[in-house]
Amino acid sequence: MAKYILKRLGYIVIVFFLLSFLLFGIFKMVPGDPARLMVEGQKMSVSPEQYEMLYQQARERLGLDKPLPVQYFSWFGNILRGDLGYSSVYRLPVIELIGPPMKNTIALNVVYYIFLFLIGIPLGIKCAVKKDTVFDTSVQVATMIGISIPFFISALVFIFLFAIVIPIFPISGMVTTGANYTGFRAFLDYMYHMALPVIVSLTGMGGLIRYVRGSLLDALSMDYVRTARAKGLKEKTVIYKHAFRNALIPITGWIVGSIVAIFGGAVIIETLFSWKGVGKLLIDSLNQHDYTVALSMQMFYILLGLASNLITDLCYCIVDPRIKLD
Amino acid sequence: MLFEKKKVKEQRSILEEEQMQSPFRTIIKNLLENKLAMGGLIVFVFIFAMCFILPIWFRQSLNYQDPTQKNIAPGFSFLNVPKELKGNVEIIEFGPTFGVGVDKDGNVYEWGQLSENLKKIPFDMGKVVDIAVGQDHVLALNDKGDLFTWGYNRLQLDRIPVELKGKKIRHIEAGYQVSIAVTEDGKIVSWGNENAVDISAAKVADEDIQEVKINIQTGIALTTDGRVISLAKRETAFDKIPEEIQGKVEKLALTDKAAAVVLKDGTVKVWGNNHQDIFTVPEEVQGHVTDISAGRNHIVVLTDDGDVVAWGGNENKQSKVPGKAKNAAKIVSGYYQNCAINEDGTVTTWGLKGYLLGTDNLGRNVFYRILKGGQMTMTVGFIAVVIQFVIGIFVGGISGYYGGKVDMLLMRLAEVVGSLPFIPLALILSALIGNKVSDVGRIVMIMLILGVLGWTGIAGMVRAQVLAEREKEFVVAAKALGVRERNIIFRHIVPNVMTIIIVQATISFATCMLTESGLSFLGFGVAEPIPSWGNMLNNCRSSEVISQYWWRWVFPSIVLGLCTVSINLFGDGLRKAVDPKANER
Repeated sequence: MAKYILKRLGYIVIVFFLLSFLLFGIFKMVPGDPARLMVEGQKMSVSPEQYEMLYQQARERLGLDKPLPVQYFSWFGNILRGDLGYSSVYRLPVIELIGPPMKNTIALNVVYYIFLFLIGIPLGIKCAVKKDTVFDTSVQVATMIGISIPFFISALVFIFLFAIVIPIFPISGMVTTGANYTGFRAFLDYMYHMALPVIVSLTGMGGLIRYVRGSLLDALSMDYVRTARAKGLKEKTVIYKHAFRNALIPITGWIVGSIVAIFGGAVIIETLFSWKGVGKLLIDSLNQHDYTVALSMQMFYILLGLASNLITDLCYCIVDPRIKLD
Repeated sequence: MLFEKKKVKEQRSILEEEQMQSPFRTIIKNLLENKLAMGGLIVFVFIFAMCFILPIWFRQSLNYQDPTQKNIAPGFSFLNVPKELKGNVEIIEFGPTFGVGVDKDGNVYEWGQLSENLKKIPFDMGKVVDIAVGQDHVLALNDKGDLFTWGYNRLQLDRIPVELKGKKIRHIEAGYQVSIAVTEDGKIVSWGNENAVDISAAKVADEDIQEVKINIQTGIALTTDGRVISLAKRETAFDKIPEEIQGKVEKLALTDKAAAVVLKDGTVKVWGNNHQDIFTVPEEVQGHVTDISAGRNHIVVLTDDGDVVAWGGNENKQSKVPGKAKNAAKIVSGYYQNCAINEDGTVTTWGLKGYLLGTDNLGRNVFYRILKGGQMTMTVGFIAVVIQFVIGIFVGGISGYYGGKVDMLLMRLAEVVGSLPFIPLALILSALIGNKVSDVGRIVMIMLILGVLGWTGIAGMVRAQVLAEREKEFVVAAKALGVRERNIIFRHIVPNVMTIIIVQATISFATCMLTESGLSFLGFGVAEPIPSWGNMLNNCRSSEVISQYWWRWVFPSIVLGLCTVSINLFGDGLRKAVDPKANER
C-alpha cells in the first residue's frame, strides 16, 4: 500500500514536471514582453536612457535576461516554494491574488455539492428501485435533457425566468450593491446571490443520478440479493442493507473525486454570474493577457486533477478490500 | 382444407425457422423499435439537413453588417401596408424596419417594427401633406405649414428650430438622427445630431434649393434651376458630379455610396462609388424615365409607360420587381423596401419583409447565422470526434493487443491526458496559440484541442474490447495464417468491436459540440465573424439582451439544445440496441 502510494506520488511528480515544461514552452511562445509592459507607463515621464535602464531593471527582476532553461528552472523552483509569480494587471503576488476567489469558489461548490448529494443520491436510488416505471422513465428523460443542455443555456433560461420575468433572484454578482450588510445579514445576502448559480449547476446533476441508479441496479442483479430475498428479508432491508452498501463503492469514488473538485471553479457558471471565484479569475487573467496568473492557475488545476485521480483510487481500495493495488 | 393451405403459405426456409439474423439487422430492428431514439435521429437529421442545405439560398457574406438593421425582432411586417391605406394612398415612406403612409384625407398610418416612441403619432396634426422618415423618427408637414416630429427624441431631434416658425416649407427630409427642412425661399435648415451626417447648409446659403436627399453619410441638394450640389464639407465621391448634367436635373435619388439623377430628357446618370453594379443602368429605360427612387444599395425607376425597373443590390430581393407593379404612378424606395403606388391608389410592395428569427446587434440575420453556426459547430464536433477515434483506436488497439510494458506505458499516458482539467487547458491553449493564427487556423486548433485531449475514454474502451477478443479463434486463425500483427489488430479485431465504438462516437459527438459551444461562448473558440452556436450567445449575457432582444439567445439555444438532446437520445438508443444486456439496467 505504502509502496503503491509512493509510486503514484512519484508518478505525479514526473507528470507535473513534464506538463510544467510543456506549458512553460507554450507560455514563452506568446508574443509580448512582460518587462516592457511593466515600464510602459513611465515611458513619457523619463528620458530615453532612464527608460532603457528601467526596462533592463525590469527584465532583470523578472529574470528575462537569463537563458530559457535557467528561466524555466527558476520559475519551477519558485512554484515549488509557493512563489507563483507576480500579476502584471493587479500588481499583486499571485498567491495573494488567489486567496479571496478560492474562498468564493469553495463556498459555492460546498453548497452545490451538499444539494447535489442530498437530491441526486436519493433520486438515483428511487429510480433504480422503481426501474421502468413512469417515474423512472421521466427522470431518465429529464436527466438526459439536463446533461445535453450546456450550462450557459440553462443559465440564460434561469436568469430570464427567475431574475427578469419573476425577479426573485439577483441577475449576477455577489453582494447587493449599496447595501453594507454586516454579520449574519451579510451572510444571508451572500447565500441569496449564490442561489441562482447553485440552481443552474444542479441542472447538470443527471450524471450523478444515472451513476447511482446504474451502480444500484448492478448490485441488485447480484446473487446475494437474490439470496437475501429468498431468505424472506424485507425489500427495504434488501435494498438498503445489502444492495446499497455494495453500490456505495463506486458512489464513494464519485464523492471523493468531487471533494477535490471543490477547489476548482466552474468557469462558465462563475463567468456568467460574475461570481468572483477561481474560474472567473482564470478567464479574466486570460482576457487581460495576465499570463503569469493564468499559468499558475493552470498548474493548480493540473495538480488538482492528478491528486483527484490518486485519492479516488486510494478511496476505492479502502472501501472495497477486494480491489488490489499494484 | 383452408387451414392446410394457410400452413403451406407459411412454410419457411430453415434460416427463417431458426430466426437467423445478422447482428447488424438485430441492431437495426432494436433501434427501429425505440421511439425515443428514432425521434432523436429524425430531429438531428432534420437540423443537419437544414444547416447544410438551406444556406445555399442565402448569398450573404459572413462579414456582412448593417447598423440600420440591428436588433430587429422576428416577423415579416415591414411591408404590411394597412387595409385603410389600400386604394386611398397619398404618400408612403420607408424607414429601416417600418413604413409610414398618408391617405388622401391626410391621416397618418404606421406599420412594421416600431419602437415605443415611434408609435406615439401626434393626434392633432390635421391634414398631413408631406412626411419624411429617418432611422427612428418621422417628420410630418400639414397643409397649414406646421411641422411635427415623433420617434427618437434625443439630441434635440424633437425640437423644431424656431427659425422655421411662420415660414412656408417646400420640402422635408430625414436621415440618421437628423432632420432637414427646405424653406420656400430655398434655404436649408437642419437639426438633430449634426455629426451623424456630413451636411453643410452654409455651402449652399446663396442657392435656391428645391429639395435635399440624404443618406447615411452626406446629402445632395437639387436647386430650382436643375443643378445638383453635394452638401459634404469634405470632398467625397459625391462631389464628382458630371458637368453635363448641371441645369438639366429633374429628379434626384441617393443610395449609400452613389447618387442618381433623372435628366429632363428622361435619361439616368449615376455617379459616386460603384457598388453592387449600381452604375449599370439598364439600356432600355434610358430616355423614358420619369421618376427615380433609391434604397441603401439599389435604384428603382419608373418609365413613361408605367413600367418599374430596378437594379443594384438584390440580397433582400429589393431589386426584384413583381409583375403586378404595372401602371405605377409613383415609386417609393427606402432601405430595402419598395412600393409602387398605382394610378388607382392601390399599392404593390416588394423587397425586405422582415427576418424570420430577427437580427443581432450588428444587423445580421439570426436565422442565417444559426444555419451557418450549425455547420461550424457540427463540423468542429465531427472532426474532433474523428481525431479522438483515430488516436483512441490506435492507442487502445496496440495497448490491448500487445499488453505488458507497451500497455503500461500507453495506459499511463492515457491516464495523464485524462486527468488534465479539460476546460482550463483548452482555454489557455486557445488564448496562447489562438491569437497567432488566422480564423481558419483557430478553428482547426479548436478541433485539435478537442481531439487530442479527449481520446482517453475511447482508448480505454477499445483496449478492453480488444483484450476480450484477442484470445478468440479467429485471431488465433489469423495468427496461424501468418497475418501481420498490425493487420490482425486493425483489420480483424477492431471491425469486430466497431459497433461499440460507433455508439461511443455518437455520444462523443454531442460532447464535442457542447465543449466547442462552451469555448466559443467564453470567447475562446470559433471567433467572430464566423458564427458558431456558442459564439452567437457570447454577447447575449447582459440582462438587456436577455430580456429585450430575446430572439438573439432563445433561437440558438433551442437549436443547440435540441441537437445535443437528440444526438444523446439516439446514442442512448443505439447503445441499448447494440448491447441488449444494457436494457436490463
